[in-house]
Amino acid sequence: MNKLSRVLGVVRNQLATYVPRINATTQAAVAPTADPKVPAPAKDKHEGLMEFFDVKENWTTNEVRVGRSWRKEELRIKSNQDLHKLWYVLLKERNMLLTMQHEMNEKWEPFQSPERIDKVHESMVNLEEVVRERNRAYYLLETGETGERPGRVETNKVGMHYFFKASEHVVPPEHNNHWFKKFGCNRREVAKFRLYYNEKIWLGRLKEKNRNTRHVMKLYKRFPDLDEEALQAEYPDVNLERVKRWNGAQGHFMPRNL
Amino acid sequence: MSTRWYPIYQRGNPQLRVFLPNFWMKLVRPEHKQPENIVRFITPTQMSDHDIKQYLEKIYKVEVASVKSKIKEGLIKRQRFRGYIIKEPDYREAMITLPPGQTFKFPDISTEKEKRDDDEIKKFQDAASQSFDKFKEMNKDRPGVPGWFSV
Repeated sequence: MNKLSRVLGVVRNQLATYVPRINATTQAAVAPTADPKVPAPAKDKHEGLMEFFDVKENWTTNEVRVGRSWRKEELRIKSNQDLHKLWYVLLKERNMLLTMQHEMNEKWEPFQSPERIDKVHESMVNLEEVVRERNRAYYLLETGETGERPGRVETNKVGMHYFFKASEHVVPPEHNNHWFKKFGCNRREVAKFRLYYNEKIWLGRLKEKNRNTRHVMKLYKRFPDLDEEALQAEYPDVNLERVKRWNGAQGHFMPRNL
Repeated sequence: MSTRWYPIYQRGNPQLRVFLPNFWMKLVRPEHKQPENIVRFITPTQMSDHDIKQYLEKIYKVEVASVKSKIKEGLIKRQRFRGYIIKEPDYREAMITLPPGQTFKFPDISTEKEKRDDDEIKKFQDAASQSFDKFKEMNKDRPGVPGWFSV
């Protein structure tokens, strides 16, 4: 932990970003207690477990002032080792914040500066994205593939399309009877279902078109000098020339050329 | 690796390594009174007992004698006015036993905060009463004049 703090201390000074503070308990642990007259440290103080709690000065404050989260540009210039260390610092910080928040909620107390959780989360997301970028670049260079999880659009049991995330299996699907019984399908019933389902979608589209046509008709009735180009852009599937000649589209106006 | 997608483990293959674990853990107060060497944690449901032990030993350098964990259902409540049902997420509750000779006492965080809050309120009250005394001192020779009257 001390080595870690040294590494991150440099980073903190350079970039002035939110590097969580190392717990006071770990620093206090360095001081030796060789003197027999001095009583042994209290048994309740468990160093490792006290890392789940904030530094003691922050227990009584109403606000904890912190910096911003780590940005991608800053993380991109760090080495893999530094990123790995920073990940664990952020992980511990998140655990600490969640623990404190839970405790405060249980005691009906306001949790100080809850935005810290979001900041840590944002940093972690950025860090993972940067690591992923590197991974992708490495795999492209070495194997010609991205190394990401493969996926494709597939048809499921009821004939609907969905994005399938591939994963490794011990048995191929054509030899897996159990899987086929569970996820295989009756094609005739699926075809019937698809027919009705497509009809429903088609009817929905038709109804929408008719609705739009009627709406345009009413618009013509109220505003005879409409900007037709804009109207056509708004409702592309309505035949304006046809709608204009309908009785419902004629307003109670004097004819133009009397 | 960073895609959070791991190949299936076949016997004889090298062990899978997790480089960026994204599990969280909360150290919480036990519901009932427990022996001194027992610590309660709340973890995501995906975590196994082995994961919990490794997590504490490798990241936090805490020696763990045994782990007992179970999945608990989140609270199911009814919304007060609309009446629909709200369910809080499920979680895993892990009871950790520390090795003999080690104990842990959950620190009193909120009581210290309460004390501090009381002090702050008292400070505000003192400041207010002092300013009122000053106002009274200023308007000693002209009672009943509103505060905005004089410069």
